[in-house]
Amino acid sequence: MIPELNPAVGYVSLILVSLSTVLIGIYGLRISRTTGDFYVASRTVRPWWNASAIGGEYLSAASFLGVAGLILISGVDALWFPIGYTAGYLMLLLFVAAPLRRSGAYTIPDFAEARLDSVMVRRVTSLLVIAVGWLYIVPQLHGAALTVRITTGLPSWVGSVAVVVVVCLSVVTGGMRSITFVQAFQYWLKLTALAVPIVFILLQLGSTGGPITNGGAVFSADLNVTDDASLYRNISLVIALLFGTLGLPHVLVRFYTNPDGASARRTTLIVLGLLSVFYLFPTLYGILGRIHTPELAASGSADATVLLLPSRIFDGSAGDLLTALVTAGAFAAFLSTSSGLVVSLAGVVSQDLFHGSVKGFRWAAVISAVIPLGFALLTDTLALAGSVSMVFAFTASTICPLLVLGIWWRGLTDIGAVAGMLAGAVLCGGSILLSAALGPSAPSSREWLEQPALWTVPSAFAVMIVVSRLTAGRKPAGTSRILARLHTPEQP
Amino acid sequence: MSTDPPKPPRVRVTAPRTRLESAAGAYPVSREMAEQSDVGELFIRSLIRSQLRLAVVVASGFLFILIGIPVVIATFPVISDLTVFTVPLPWVLLGLGIYPLVISCAALYVRSASRNEKRFRDLVDDS
Repeated sequence: MIPELNPAVGYVSLILVSLSTVLIGIYGLRISRTTGDFYVASRTVRPWWNASAIGGEYLSAASFLGVAGLILISGVDALWFPIGYTAGYLMLLLFVAAPLRRSGAYTIPDFAEARLDSVMVRRVTSLLVIAVGWLYIVPQLHGAALTVRITTGLPSWVGSVAVVVVVCLSVVTGGMRSITFVQAFQYWLKLTALAVPIVFILLQLGSTGGPITNGGAVFSADLNVTDDASLYRNISLVIALLFGTLGLPHVLVRFYTNPDGASARRTTLIVLGLLSVFYLFPTLYGILGRIHTPELAASGSADATVLLLPSRIFDGSAGDLLTALVTAGAFAAFLSTSSGLVVSLAGVVSQDLFHGSVKGFRWAAVISAVIPLGFALLTDTLALAGSVSMVFAFTASTICPLLVLGIWWRGLTDIGAVAGMLAGAVLCGGSILLSAALGPSAPSSREWLEQPALWTVPSAFAVMIVVSRLTAGRKPAGTSRILARLHTPEQP
Repeated sequence: MSTDPPKPPRVRVTAPRTRLESAAGAYPVSREMAEQSDVGELFIRSLIRSQLRLAVVVASGFLFILIGIPVVIATFPVISDLTVFTVPLPWVLLGLGIYPLVISCAALYVRSASRNEKRFRDLVDDS
């Protein structure tokens, strides 16, 4: 296809973002010199930095491009996505933030093994975490493919490969050790990249009398390409996003850089503020897109709304500059989320396969990045926000019950945990696969397969509780001590 | 420049990862005391219970409002015709109104959770 944007703009911003990511990584590496600095960056990382870093890592392709695209396609129903992504951190705060920080675990399998004193639980958890991580990297790579195709006109695969190469290089050379700085930078880059263009766009439309809401017509459901979502679908989606967030593998690691449980809570509070501010902007892009880029919805590239909107309003170099900014932000989104995921997956893979050596970690990082690349190249780009919601549903049905019951319930046993996680994985994974096999044209009777979280999450909890009760004799001996440790406050 | 303290030497970073014990940070005296006595065990159980109750109350309150919005909109479709500066009410509620609610719930929880912990610390220090 002929690119409608100036390709040079695309190249320049992609290269700039990659370079600045690597440079900040190197700069941060020079600051941290000792083991203490490395692990306990915590003591010097302020909650604001930390919260920015969490925001930077969390705001993925689905947030940066997907939300606006979905508003273009399905209007008001799409607003549930940013709500779910944000409120997921509320659930994280309520149920896991402080206790997980106090647990001292670096990864979810570490937590599972320590809490239940069982290597079997560790293995099952590791497998699930790796599956979730891979499934979550794939949409990032699809987003990168789309961005590169739209902004430079190069074939799609170039974008996916570029992200994997940059991520592997920075993780393997150790540049990601200073990940806090990189990720914090990425949050503010992403926010600026959306906020500055939209301000100019609104000013321009305001001064030239261009249409902003068309007197409210923009909100009409007639512009939607999809049918209105049912109540069931919206609620099930929200459950998936709310409870999926607290099991994402790259989230837990970030909490470890808080000095104690209380500051983990404060950090989460700031994260909620940062996310709330951020999501106003994709929403505005989506609304404006309904007037200015409506044809993207029909052509199946609605996710390009954010990238194309500035050039539809501004001609010439002003349009080029603003396009460069949003492109840079988009690329930052893929890089930061993918590298966060690769680092946390590599941690899990290297411990279980390579016994935690540094060389093993590097190999694990390459494996963790290349396998999802294969998936991404073999599969078609779905709507980004939609495919990410599948991953959230799966996490909510597997990892979430393990964490919540592990932290709050003395009665959890190893057999119960494994049974619950497997039940959730089979039910949720099975219904997603089945609905994919049955094909896209969905009669409403099939929506409980397509958006299964509303029944798979309670089922997983129920199985975990019932089986734990049946195997109550297997309660680990140290349960009281570990729970005490998770919940007692540190000395002030 | 010559007055700068020497930089600490670089050291190899290794992974003390597999067991929680090895990653233990500051281990407060009050916690140890609390673990070693029956009274302490009782205090901890009641702390966990009050924190859980708090989390469940805040979560259900939030979910009630959140799920209430689409239910109300579905029951009374006329709401969709109300507008604020040409923006229909459902868009205002879902695009803007939810976020202050999320942040208020979070702030409320953080305050109350810290208060529970302070009460626990006072109890342990007194006993």
